This record gives sequence, structure tokens and C-alpha cells, in this order.
Amino acid sequence: MSKSKGNYRSKRNKPTVGQQAKEVLESLDENNRVIKLFRAFAVELDDKHDRHERIVKLGRDITIEAKRIIFLLHNISTDIEEKRNSVLEEAKSRLSTLCSTNFKAIALELRRHDGYLYHRAFTAGMQEFIEALCFYQYIKQDSIGNWVDINRSFQFEDEDQQKIQLLFTQYDFILGIADFTGELMRKCINTLGSGNVSDCFKLCNFVRAINTGFLGLSYSGNREVSRKTHVLRQSLAKMELVCYNIQIRGSEVPKHMLLSVIESQEADNNDDEGFCI
Amino acid sequence: MAEPTKVITEIFGPFQDSINAEQDIRELIRSIMKDIEKSLRETVIAMQVIHSEVNCEYIHHSLLKARSLFEEVQKGFDWLDKTVPPGQYYRYNDHWRFSTQRLCFLAALIVFLEKGFLIDQVTAAQMLGLHDKENIHLDLEDYLHGLLNLASELARFAVNSVTLGDYSRPLQISKFVAELNAGFRLLNLKNDSLRKRFDALKYDVKKIEEVVYDISIRGLTPKASAEDAAD
Repeated sequence: MSKSKGNYRSKRNKPTVGQQAKEVLESLDENNRVIKLFRAFAVELDDKHDRHERIVKLGRDITIEAKRIIFLLHNISTDIEEKRNSVLEEAKSRLSTLCSTNFKAIALELRRHDGYLYHRAFTAGMQEFIEALCFYQYIKQDSIGNWVDINRSFQFEDEDQQKIQLLFTQYDFILGIADFTGELMRKCINTLGSGNVSDCFKLCNFVRAINTGFLGLSYSGNREVSRKTHVLRQSLAKMELVCYNIQIRGSEVPKHMLLSVIESQEADNNDDEGFCI
Repeated sequence: MAEPTKVITEIFGPFQDSINAEQDIRELIRSIMKDIEKSLRETVIAMQVIHSEVNCEYIHHSLLKARSLFEEVQKGFDWLDKTVPPGQYYRYNDHWRFSTQRLCFLAALIVFLEKGFLIDQVTAAQMLGLHDKENIHLDLEDYLHGLLNLASELARFAVNSVTLGDYSRPLQISKFVAELNAGFRLLNLKNDSLRKRFDALKYDVKKIEEVVYDISIRGLTPKASAEDAAD
């Protein structure tokens, strides 16, 4: 009697690896405390991830549009006043559209949230926008706005007329400016091609001032800053070479030929990141 | 040549000021974290006793010590709350994220040893001194990281319990970690550090299951030995 009972038990309850886990999982139901806790966590995590994804999307659209605006501004011809103005007008309206649509959408997403948590999702778009904005301002008035002025364009009102401020970090600003010098370098080369040498000197001086600013910074623990200042120095070297050539050969070679002189000198220094960033 | 100086004063001046201010805050946070991490290390040491002692007295003593060390931690986070500027938790959280995860693990271990159930997020925040604070809080992901660390520690605990002759502990641990595992499966994790940490959970589960298998096949589980006695 006891033997048969023992056999029956060993057949049914023969232990296997993972048996206990299986038993626990089978007995789990919706009312289990742990399951309830984790259901709530899942909701919270999903909300965070979805918000992050939405902001990434908005940020990517900003990057694309900013690049297009920069391209538009490169096509400006300084000789024809009328065309210049129309391009500036178009750039201006497109920049402010970006502010009132995508940036406002991000600001609304970040309402009542810590902007720094999602900062990585839109920092690239923000920097690209700053690059385009500075480029626009420079072409228009030969100077760029300061942080306080630009920060003002990131203030929005939500549907309840509550003021909301989009996170605009000083780092995004300064990194955007570093990128912007790359555009100035391209503009300098293009300007030389059209034979306008005085603008080359002006552009070079402006980038030189920005470089001085970067040199004057004390330790800034940000890897992006040092990476971008390296690129900035390369751009500046290129521009200084342009100015040097204008000075020394300006009287020997026709202005529009200078470009090919410089390009041949640069053949061995081919780390230009090119038009497509 | 007015333009270059204007660029420097208007753009790089305020930027330098902002970096300086940020560095000052980081310096303060670092010194606060140094104290918190000291208590953290002492708590880790105090809790190691579970791997070499079954004597309730000893373990109870360690739990009391850990509880008193957590009071030090709470004081540290009080200071941190006053140091972190409003709404900038995630700007500086690199400084305390890792320590918070480990503290969560310790809090979860203490609650497991005392009560046998899973610590909830609010209790963990209360133990750390992060509950209802103005500028800091217990991040959900840090809490979850802590729970995953707990599973690894419990896997080791299960092995050592057997060595010490405690055959009922692995069964308790197995049930607990199986529930935890089922809970984590409900989360849609992104491909981030939490996901990577979660991927290691299955090894802990496996380890614990092997221990349970080893003792049940030898009839050493309390249930089986009770039945054997009845036979």
C-alpha cells in the first residue's frame, strides 16, 4: 500500500529543473501583488519611451528643415539686392515656422516633465536650428544674437495661456555656433569663387573671433565641445589660407582663379566634411 | 574691430559663467555623494553576513546596522535635495544614479529578509530618503535596476543557504525571483542599460532553479522530507 503510494508520488512529482518556476508562473494571476506593481511600471515606462520617440521624430524633422534653410542661405547672391531680400524673407519665415510648430510641439510634450530627461532626443535638432539661425542672422546683419535673445524665441503659450519655456541649454547654443563656423567657411570659399575678396576677410575675422572665444574657455568637460572646436580650427586654417592667398597672389592671378589655386594647395589636406553633413 | 570683442563678451562670457556655475554644483554634489557612498559600502559589508551565517541573531544584528546606516543615507539625500536646482534632476543624475541603484538593491534585500516580499517603489524611496522630496525622487529605472541586482544576490544567497544547511530558503527565493521575472516580462524595455541588465536575469533564475532541483531530487525540501516522515 505504502509502496504503491510512493510510486505514484514519485511519478507525478518527479522534480525537474525549472519545476518550481513553472508552478509559480501557473499560479500567478492578475491579482498577484508583483504583477500589479509591474503593470503600473509598464504603463509608466511606455509613456516615457513613447514621449521620447515622439520628440526624437520632431527633432529629426527640425534637423532636416534647418539643413534645407542653410542650403537656401548658401545660394544667396549678395550682388542682387532684391533676390537677397527675398531669400532672407523666406529663410526668416521658415525659421519662425519651425519655432511655432516643431519646437512648440516639443515644449508641449515636455510640459510638467524634466527637460533634461529628454534632452538627448532633441539636442541635435536644436543645434542644427541654432546653426541655421546664426547663419541667417549673420548674413542679414553681420552679427549673431546672444543666448538670452534666442532663448526668448523658445517661449510658448499652451492652450490655457500658460507660459512654457523649452529647455535651451548653453551647450546647445555654443555647439550650434561651432557648427555655424563650418557654414561660414563654406561661404568664404564660395565668396572667393565669385571674386568678392573683402567679404572673405570679414568672414575670416568673424570665425577668428569665435575661435578666440573657444580658446578662452576654461575646462568644459564636454566631449562634443572639444570635438567641434577641432573642426572649427580646421575650418579657420582653411579660411586663413584663403586670406593669405588673396593677399600674396591677389595682384598676380585674376580673382576668380584664386579658388583653383587654393584648391590645388589643399589637395593634400582633404579632410573637408563637404556639403553634406 | 568692435565685432570680435562683442562676440566674446556677449556669447562666450555668459557661456563661461554657466559652465562655472554648473561645475560648482557638481562639486557640491560630488562631496555629498562621497558621504552617501561611504554608508553604502558599509551597508554592503554588513549585509554580506547572510552568506556565512544562518544564526538569526547575527542576521538581525546586521539588519539593524543596515537600517541605521540608511539613516545616514537619508541625511545625505536631504542635502542633495537642497543642492540640485529645481527641475534639473536629470541634468546631474549621473552623479547619483549608480549609487541609487545599489541602495535600492540593499533596501530591497533588507525588506526581503525582514518580511519576505518585494519592496515597492514608495517604500524604497522612503528608505533612501527620496520620498516626497522637492527636487529629487527615486527614478523608476533605478529602482528596477536595484531589483535586478537583488535577483543576482539572491542567486548567490540560495547557493550559500544550502551550504549552511538551510533547505527552505532556496524555495522561498525561487518563488520570489520567479514572480519578479514574470513581472519584468510585462515591461516593454528599450534597448538600454536596463534591458541589458534584465537579459542577465535568466541566468540568476536558472541558477536558483538548479539549486532547487538539487535539493528536491535528494528529498531535502521541507515539503518532501515532511512527506517522507509521514510515510
